[in-house]
Amino acid sequence: MKDWIEILIRSIALFFITFAFIRIMGKRQLIRMTPFQFINYSVIAILVALMATNLIKNLAFGFITLGIWFLFPIALDYLSMKSKWIHDLVYGKETILVKHGKVMEESLSQLRLTGEELLKELRSKNAFNLADVEFAIMESTGEINLLLKSDKNPITPHNLGTIVSPQSAPQTVILDGTILDEPLKNMGLNRGWLNVELETMEVSLDNVFIAQVDSSGDLYVDLFDDSVQLPEAKVQELLYATLEKIQADLCSFALDTDNQKAKSMYSNNAHEFQEMIKKLEPHLLR
Amino acid sequence: MTVGASVKQTLANLKGAQGTLRTYSIKVQDESARSIYAEALMTTNKVIDDLNKRLKTIELEEPQYRAY
Repeated sequence: MKDWIEILIRSIALFFITFAFIRIMGKRQLIRMTPFQFINYSVIAILVALMATNLIKNLAFGFITLGIWFLFPIALDYLSMKSKWIHDLVYGKETILVKHGKVMEESLSQLRLTGEELLKELRSKNAFNLADVEFAIMESTGEINLLLKSDKNPITPHNLGTIVSPQSAPQTVILDGTILDEPLKNMGLNRGWLNVELETMEVSLDNVFIAQVDSSGDLYVDLFDDSVQLPEAKVQELLYATLEKIQADLCSFALDTDNQKAKSMYSNNAHEFQEMIKKLEPHLLR
Repeated sequence: MTVGASVKQTLANLKGAQGTLRTYSIKVQDESARSIYAEALMTTNKVIDDLNKRLKTIELEEPQYRAY
């Protein structure tokens, strides 16, 4: 057999074998790898290259080595799933760098990390001031994660004591002018509903690039033809405004009338309406 | 605008808002949101009933302003 044919066949075969095994080994990203995993992948890459270019003449030898470098990491992963001890041995333990706002100098010197490097890493996590950092930890992948002091944390609705409505992920129902049936079914909707919605917007299906349904069941549409201006869906805000206006009307009726019975009826209803609006607010305005 | 007419207008607004509330109570996915919409529907129903009753009384008192 000619050399080039052999190399061709080897390369193609190894291409698919490596592809399959790398898929099996997992979807870890390069930046999230521990140093050993990096070496592992490098060894595999070099072995494959050597075998493909016929530098390793004996295929059996090549496959034995390759098999070990493929299978051992998978075996180690399984073992470390079963045992915490093996997990710590394989992946190493995370190291605490800052605790209660104080830098742990011993851990730094253990990791051979200088103060400048620590500051640089903290800055890349948007903590420019060391005084703001409550807790910082170096993961076994070398990544530094930190917790800001509680008064420096970004504010959340929980801090403000506001109730917000839960929002689930929107479902994409049209892509490139084709209706996707499965997401529609997940939302409990069907093609008929979608057609009606598109008709009320006066849009044809093949003009729609993306359409999404949000958790409150409203449809958002992006068109191929960007010159077409769609009326922005402000139904919820409008409803809120209408309800507030009705409530104000009820209040003024209560003030206007001289009939005691009517007065109490109006003010009772106005009060109930106020309660209802308060409950609806997180769902209508967000 | 007479009192009767303004009550009528509020009633019409309220009915429109109730319709929107009803569509949301059907199409909202979240269970707790749905129950809040259903509760709101009940409140609007009650207010609509009360306003209708009041409207009848007003029209009885001042038949000259009756408008259809």
